[in-house]
Amino acid sequence: MRYRIAVEVMLKPAILDPAGQATEGILQQMGFSAEDVRIGKRITVETEADSAAAAEIAGRQMAEKLLANPVMEDFSVSVVAL
Amino acid sequence: MTVGVLVFPGSNCDWDTVHALEDLKTECRTIWYTETDLRGLDRVILPGGFAYGDYLRSGALAAHAPVMAALERRVAETALPVLGICNGFQILCERGLLPGALRNNASGQFRCSLETVRVTAAHPLFPGLAAGTLLRLPIAHHEGSYTVPPGGLGALFEQQQVFLQYADADGVVQAYANPNGSVANIAGVSRGSVVGLMPHPERAMESYLGSADGRRLLSSWLEGGMRHGA
Amino acid sequence: MEPSAVGLTEAEYQTIADLLGRQPNDLELGLFGVLWSEHCSYKSSKTLLGWLPHEGPAVVQGPGENAGVVRLNDAWDIAFKVESHNHPSYVEPVQGAATGVGGIIRDIVAMGARPLALADSLRFGLDAASRHLLAGVVTGIGQYGNAIGIPTVTGEASFGHSYRKNPLVNVLCLGIRPTGRTIGAGGARPGDQLILLGQKTGRDGIHGASLLASQDFGAEAETMRPTVQVGDPFMGKLLMEATLAAVASGRLSAVQDLGAAGLTSSIAELCYRSGAGADLWLDRVPCRETGMTPYDIMLSETQERMLLVAAVGEVDDLRRLVDHFEIPFTVIGQVVATDRLTVWFHGERAAEVAPSYLAGACPRRPLAAELSTAVRQPVAADPSPIPLTFEPDWLLQVLAAPDCRDREAIYRQYDSTIQTNTTQGPGHDAAVLRVRGSAEGICLAVSGPGRWAARDAYAGGAGAVSRVIRQLATQAASPLGLTDGINAGNPDRPQEFRALAALLAGIADAARALDTPVTGGNVSLHNETDGEAIWPTAVIGGVGRHFRPLQPYRDAFLRVGERVYLINPDPAPNLGGSVLAGLLGNLGSYPRPDLPRDAACYRFLAEMLRAGIVTASRSVGDGGVLTAIARMAMDSPSRLGVRLFLPADGLGARGFGEGSGQVVVTVGDGERLEGDADRAGVRVLEMGIVVADAAVSLEAGHSYRWDISRLRRAWRGVPGEGEA
Repeated sequence: MRYRIAVEVMLKPAILDPAGQATEGILQQMGFSAEDVRIGKRITVETEADSAAAAEIAGRQMAEKLLANPVMEDFSVSVVAL
Repeated sequence: MTVGVLVFPGSNCDWDTVHALEDLKTECRTIWYTETDLRGLDRVILPGGFAYGDYLRSGALAAHAPVMAALERRVAETALPVLGICNGFQILCERGLLPGALRNNASGQFRCSLETVRVTAAHPLFPGLAAGTLLRLPIAHHEGSYTVPPGGLGALFEQQQVFLQYADADGVVQAYANPNGSVANIAGVSRGSVVGLMPHPERAMESYLGSADGRRLLSSWLEGGMRHGA
Repeated sequence: MEPSAVGLTEAEYQTIADLLGRQPNDLELGLFGVLWSEHCSYKSSKTLLGWLPHEGPAVVQGPGENAGVVRLNDAWDIAFKVESHNHPSYVEPVQGAATGVGGIIRDIVAMGARPLALADSLRFGLDAASRHLLAGVVTGIGQYGNAIGIPTVTGEASFGHSYRKNPLVNVLCLGIRPTGRTIGAGGARPGDQLILLGQKTGRDGIHGASLLASQDFGAEAETMRPTVQVGDPFMGKLLMEATLAAVASGRLSAVQDLGAAGLTSSIAELCYRSGAGADLWLDRVPCRETGMTPYDIMLSETQERMLLVAAVGEVDDLRRLVDHFEIPFTVIGQVVATDRLTVWFHGERAAEVAPSYLAGACPRRPLAAELSTAVRQPVAADPSPIPLTFEPDWLLQVLAAPDCRDREAIYRQYDSTIQTNTTQGPGHDAAVLRVRGSAEGICLAVSGPGRWAARDAYAGGAGAVSRVIRQLATQAASPLGLTDGINAGNPDRPQEFRALAALLAGIADAARALDTPVTGGNVSLHNETDGEAIWPTAVIGGVGRHFRPLQPYRDAFLRVGERVYLINPDPAPNLGGSVLAGLLGNLGSYPRPDLPRDAACYRFLAEMLRAGIVTASRSVGDGGVLTAIARMAMDSPSRLGVRLFLPADGLGARGFGEGSGQVVVTVGDGERLEGDADRAGVRVLEMGIVVADAAVSLEAGHSYRWDISRLRRAWRGVPGEGEA
């Protein structure tokens, strides 16, 4: 089966996000109500796997080994069948 | 004539630009990003740097600064000559005052080097810089890979909007002379009175700094004129 | 809380209890923990650092402040210092290196100086993981330096297995301030307000200094990861401009940056240097996270913060001035006349200790009386490798070796041209900067040859200093001062402590002999993982006064027919400590510099350059004489090369030995050089002539010839060239 894994990587809550902070300031300047802006990444990967659960495990391993930096990032994984 | 040098939080080539203009005996003034009154300015430079840390996308946050709305009005109403250098170019693209966008260098790395650029289309704001003129200018950027939406490149050339292209030492526009992956080696573009380029002419004012061709480019721009609406 | 939880020994804990006359509470224990850590207190190295010469005619500020200061001319002083960020860069290379750059920049800004230049010195292993770390560190240095707008104008990188799990990331920053400006950490007066400027405080890097940088690495390094700090060069730029504007307004009594151990170190140092105390109102500190305790706030190492100190009447004007930069400005305390620091939190007294205890009372490691002479004794005889043959491929192999290879892939990622002062940037022995409005410019060199200290740390320390002064001499620059970045292993192991002492003795003797004081620096110990220590590595930065910064002296072959000489040839060349010796598998000991001979050579070289007799020069360093010549040839105009004539006997050692004090030069008038050298008591060796043939050719019994294009391919790491 073919699946699309989506890995969302965000800085851990306690880690300073300078980019989020600067973006928040501009959003507020533009008149938006905006607080606690955090900037992350979304990485999608298509993969062959036996099941959605297996695809999710693979996605998790990709995130742990490469896609996320465990020193300062958290991640979440979601999977859809194609 | 008075040249305004726009300064955003995080701009870092503002003083280099001011020094270059002073070397050219030109009156200039720094304009903080919150200013909305640009009367009294005959020309404006958006200098290089990392406005707002280049966070989100280079130039994206600065493009929404109050001074940019004022600048946009002056461009529309009086064809104010505007020159965006490096980060200034990125800001002008993000604001929509110039076509296209600047992406990460193809190498994924910041690059500081001296490059040869070729004038592709002569521009009325740069008298004396005929098409084919070669200039040696430094670059220093992480996001300098110029890109346009699919199908947009032909129009850019047809409308004479491609101002500078990276070239080899003999002036031939070659793939290997492309330092950052820009489409068609494009180093600078124009739209009306607004011109943007990735290289830093303000760093090339004296041969002991590596090149004096920036002096040539800036003095030409200071002499150039455009009729309103041109 | 146990003393060990904050890195203190039982004995240190007892000393603290005796000083206080009571048991410290947890917060107080935490304060002592960070300030009495190796990283902050220099308890193992301070007595050794006392060996270094600190006085000289150009010295405005010696060690003890945030950075040393030397006089350039009547208008400008130069503040400069090197600092390491080794452990954080191993844990998180991009952010570790970036925050290291931010930290050393703030040290220079805290002296009221505008940063003009950065230089980096990097040490890594040779495995794949090390390459990954190097890539991250280069990204991090560039990310911060490029964005804040300070050019990285020179640097060096070198490799060795001992750095595999202990990479070294040392960064030097140099700034200028008008003469007469004396701001620093020592000017706080009772009643002054303590103003915290910059980033809001989070739980970043708590115990980074006391634990991460002051202990060896083992498996537990993994669990320390959550303490990583993120650099924000954007905030750093605003903070730098705001601080410099505040200093220039003349309204400040003192400035102190917040670095390792955050507010704790900053306040304690400020009070101690000012002979004062302080009341600190921690609940006023702007925090990024909720629920932060006094312990968190005092020990946080959140980056991009600065402590300004000003009289009450100046605060409103300062606030208006700083508001322009849109960064938080908060009065968090005030200076008191007595030697006490009281930390208040919502009206409660959270801690009370004397700043002099925190910053001045940490017991220093005592030195054995004979140590100073013992470490100067020659090391046990190590067979000096002298090759009996000469293989032409050695030159290609040496050029392609990690320690000699072209560094463009690194320095191209650094902005070296911003601020438009760089008249000679990376890729040369030294960088040259103009100073707008001054005839005199600045020459900057940095070097830290760990390989030379591998077997004999004394030789390595002396060799490092001599090399930096030599690099300045190739620009005929007058040395003004040195900064030392000491990197070594665990000082609690006798062998490593002895190596540290020998390294410093070498630096001290060379700095004295070459008449250049050390005005400040940094010590990073515990560079060990699983019991394996690094080569003791002294990263020396040298600053000189350049007399014609708009025309840096050249380091290439320029005119056909010019003679090529070696000034101060090693009288007994051998390969000890050299790149080739490493390639041949027998590193050996680096020969100890003959310092008076080196000093005479450098004075002579500077005179010959200024008189126009020497037309170009290059310092002999990694890879030896032939490598220096190959580098000159590769930088020469196309179609120029060199023809060399050397005795066949001892050619390998002559060509690739890295003995101290040697410089390759070109001259139009060889007889003149020889005559002047004779009068100056300096030996010179004629080696060859510049020719219109793009090759290095050598007559030495046999004829050898290397096309410059081939040398260049090896040097640039083109596969298949120079592979051993």
